Amino acid sequence: MSQMPQRQSLQGNQACALGAIAAGCRLFAGYPITPSSEVAERMSKELPRVEGVFVQMEDEIASMAAVLGSSMGGVKSMTATSGPGFSLKQEHIGYAALAEVPCVIINVMRGGPSTGMPTRPAQGDVMQARWGTHGDHPIIVVTPSSVQEIYQLTIRAFNLSETYRVPVIVLYDEAIGHLVDTVELPDPDSIEIQDRKWASGPAEGYLPYAADEDGVPPMPRPGDGYRTHTTGLTHLETGFPTQVPADVSRVIGRLLDKIERNRDAIEQYELTNCDDAEILVVAFGITARSSERAVNLARESGIKVGLMRPLTLWPFPERKMKELAGQVRHVLVPEMNAGQLILEIERLCPDSVTVSGINRFDGLPIDPGEVLDKIKEISK
Amino acid sequence: MSSATTAKPKKTVQKQTAVKGPTNVLIVGVGGQGVIMVSKILARLSQLQGLQVKQSEVHGMAKRGGSVFSHIRFGEEVWSPTIPMGEADVVLGLEWAEGLRWLRYLKPGVGTFISDTKRIVPPFSCRDRRHDARHGYAHHTIAEIVAQVPSAYAPDATGMATELGNERVANTILLGLLSTVMDFPVESWREVLAEFVPPKTLDTNLKAFEAGRAWTKQDHKPLVDDAATQAAPEPLLKREVKLEITESWCKSCDICVKMCPERCLALNDHQIVELVKPEACTGCRVCEWLCPDFAIAVHVSTVPINTISAEAAGEVQA
Amino acid sequence: MSKLALNLKSLQKAGEKSDHKFEIRDYLRLDLFPHFLCPGCGHGIALRALLWAIHDLDIELDQLAVVSGIGCSGRLSAYIDANTFHTTHGRPIAFATGLKLARPDLHVVVITGDGDCLAIGGNHLIHAARRNLDITCIMLNNEVYGMTGGQVSPTTSLDRYTTTTPLGNQEPGFDACALAKGAGATFVGREVTLQTTALKNLMQEGLSHDGFSFIEVISDCTEIYGRKNELGSSPEMVLSQKRSILPKFDGTAVDKPFRAGNWDTGVLVREDRPEYYKAYRKHCHKVLGTAAVKK
Ligand SMILES: Cc1ncc(C[n+]2csc(CCOP(=O)(O)OP(=O)(O)O)c2C)c(N)n1
Ligand code: SF4
Ligand code: SF4
Ligand code: SF4
Ligand SMILES: [Mg+2]
Repeated sequence: MSQMPQRQSLQGNQACALGAIAAGCRLFAGYPITPSSEVAERMSKELPRVEGVFVQMEDEIASMAAVLGSSMGGVKSMTATSGPGFSLKQEHIGYAALAEVPCVIINVMRGGPSTGMPTRPAQGDVMQARWGTHGDHPIIVVTPSSVQEIYQLTIRAFNLSETYRVPVIVLYDEAIGHLVDTVELPDPDSIEIQDRKWASGPAEGYLPYAADEDGVPPMPRPGDGYRTHTTGLTHLETGFPTQVPADVSRVIGRLLDKIERNRDAIEQYELTNCDDAEILVVAFGITARSSERAVNLARESGIKVGLMRPLTLWPFPERKMKELAGQVRHVLVPEMNAGQLILEIERLCPDSVTVSGINRFDGLPIDPGEVLDKIKEISK
Repeated sequence: MSSATTAKPKKTVQKQTAVKGPTNVLIVGVGGQGVIMVSKILARLSQLQGLQVKQSEVHGMAKRGGSVFSHIRFGEEVWSPTIPMGEADVVLGLEWAEGLRWLRYLKPGVGTFISDTKRIVPPFSCRDRRHDARHGYAHHTIAEIVAQVPSAYAPDATGMATELGNERVANTILLGLLSTVMDFPVESWREVLAEFVPPKTLDTNLKAFEAGRAWTKQDHKPLVDDAATQAAPEPLLKREVKLEITESWCKSCDICVKMCPERCLALNDHQIVELVKPEACTGCRVCEWLCPDFAIAVHVSTVPINTISAEAAGEVQA
Repeated sequence: MSKLALNLKSLQKAGEKSDHKFEIRDYLRLDLFPHFLCPGCGHGIALRALLWAIHDLDIELDQLAVVSGIGCSGRLSAYIDANTFHTTHGRPIAFATGLKLARPDLHVVVITGDGDCLAIGGNHLIHAARRNLDITCIMLNNEVYGMTGGQVSPTTSLDRYTTTTPLGNQEPGFDACALAKGAGATFVGREVTLQTTALKNLMQEGLSHDGFSFIEVISDCTEIYGRKNELGSSPEMVLSQKRSILPKFDGTAVDKPFRAGNWDTGVLVREDRPEYYKAYRKHCHKVLGTAAVKK
């Protein structure tokens, strides 16, 4: 039964919940924290309607653990949190990365560090999202800028997570989490849904961590007869621990390579007015909205400025960035932190390009005027 | 379950010399029949011979009519107080159905079965309350049983005791009978009897004892019953124990060695567990249960007597 | 054939049935043996009891999920030929909660240690007990952090020496069963490894219980805790679990228990309360109507 797209007025966090349900998420485990709680609340309402399970755990550590337990059981699962809770989840995000357990973590950023400013937006978790858990590990971080995009990127987060068996973080700030906007909910049948590859074939001699061509091993489903072992210890293709240097470098190498070799399929960005740009603004989340406005206003006054909006923050669209860096003379990185994404961009730009930032961490969004002023200053 | 070890002067038993396995006597009956008294007499007797004795009794339902049994083990060296199934040298039944019930504890082929033919039908074995109602009590004829067990004695001890004027000396008749199949000097039996029975009844008891001894000399065997002689008896089965030791898993922790009730395991020169007294192993599985490394597996099987392995056969003769 | 022969036959059959059939090797990942535990470690005995209980309950290995934490106890899951998950320190109950909610068809068993379950993971135990999801949690209590080399744990007895209580522990040992009971666990039991058959029976009851069951196993850390506190050889330690007057193997007697625990054993709590997943699902259906639910 095909339906027309449905238009609904939704809050960002609610759109996130609906996106998850559309993606096939059937278990949510979480712990309330501002400004993410509406995701949990909406999930608690939606999941029983699709034979799913909502559970409010005793803390964020337990929530993340329950999500992994559920996903290892074969069910798409998600949690949502913010700053302090995101910190608590890190150990298990590492577990998901190493044991290759698909899962989606929503982090609605608020002012930090510590309890910080629970009700104020921020973008201070850029590096934590990439490096929050210890050790070298693969991870994907997507970052929406609108309510509509929260819906879509939540679906994509599940698809990426299932495809590559990595934890995927949906990173957005309080401002869009709480923004209410009209969202177009597509006909469910038209949504592209990816499910993980399931192990098939004989159980005899089965190697749970032997990867296919794409670097990703199919996953055994408990009950299907494979009876495998899953561990957070560095493990061989058999699933059992190893500390042999050559083996470790091979298996960890594959984990990291899983993202590297699939960059083209994973990386996503949006370019506005970049073709002839001499100045490039790179911004994500709420800041990208202000920046887009600023870029448009600057164009009106004849400044050759463009906007690159990464939708995957990690892996960062490196190749595109390098390409644009070869064309512009200045890159401006506005972000609501003391300068995090700018580090990655500086790394990708040749010395001939100057890179500057607009940084604030006072709980106020960066407004278009601020970006415009800076663009004008640079263009002089 | 209560278990009592009767102290004995420390004997130096040299580890290396083969020790004859303990003798196992199982005394069974129903509550009130004197199972415990009979076993005390036996224990005392063994003690007087300078043997180690272990006795353990279970009062299933010690009320009248409930099953009561007592294990007595004596020999040069006795560790475990209980007799495993298929290991009793003698099963002494003070009541017929109880005797039968424990028959499977008898060493197949070589054990001696002695039981009063007296039947005490427990009320709860009746299926209904009509006169002549069927009951679940043992239906086998005496001849059927005797045909199954090469060495079986089934006197009507209670009947004989009544003739002697005291129904209660039936047990003494059985003891007299038992004395003929055991090695203890007859004098010793009489002494111990004197020690245990009320002085007023000593005379009758001694008479009963002699009557029991005399009974074996009369020709009571075989008690032929047409049906039983015609049906070839089923081969008796023997319980066979094998210990499977996975040497590469043993970590020499010594737990099995110290916890084996029969002390039949030891660590060898390589500090790996070894079964050093296979004849003493009862298959109790304690070693298997307590080995943290799963290095011991106890395999217990039942095989027809004539197909048992040479080692196990040795055990039967022991 | 006489009736007696028939009787003997059936008795022998019955004997065989109870005798046989538990072959621990059928439940193990044999390539990983010998296992990594130290000589005499009680965790091995507990593992046997668990597998035996699983055998007697006829639980299919394919349908069994064993979730363990980190510690010597946590390593046990790897040896079981089932769906096994070696998770993080203190969190196996939380992992198991997600797994059981997602897959109520699986038998979910948690293996955890005293540090894993009561220190870092204490909160999860409390809430799992409260929720009453059908998980069996088996806590191996050796009164110490074995894996990390013998530091004090919440259950370490008073005055015991550990690497972090070099002068003797002054924190009182913690009663895990009382905690589980207080938190509302509907099945709580405790047993010592010495009583392997009783332990197996207790585990069997815990596994059959519909709801959260908590079983504390008194286990021995022979190599570290035993040595440090001079608790005797492995057999002496396991025998000391009897905690009466303890004969030593050299014939002398010691008049105080090696270990200071005061353990009530057996089933300590058994209650009927709706199992969490079933209650959740039933309630959702009741409120929403089964028809409204789409997959
Ligand atoms: C988050 C975290 N903190 C600390 C550790 C280190 N660690 C590993 S095992 C363990 C203690 C285990 O003790 P217990 O749970 O009693 O298990 P046992 O080894 O005694 O069986 C600790 C502290 C860890 N792995 N993870
Ligand atoms: S089964 Fe093991 S513990 Fe039992 S008697 Fe034999 S060797 Fe000893
Ligand atoms: S209990 Fe097991 S590991 Fe220990 S000595 Fe005996 S066989 Fe070896
Ligand atoms: S350290 Fe202790 S708990 Fe760990 S394996 Fe050794 S004896 Fe067992
Ligand atoms: Mg411990």
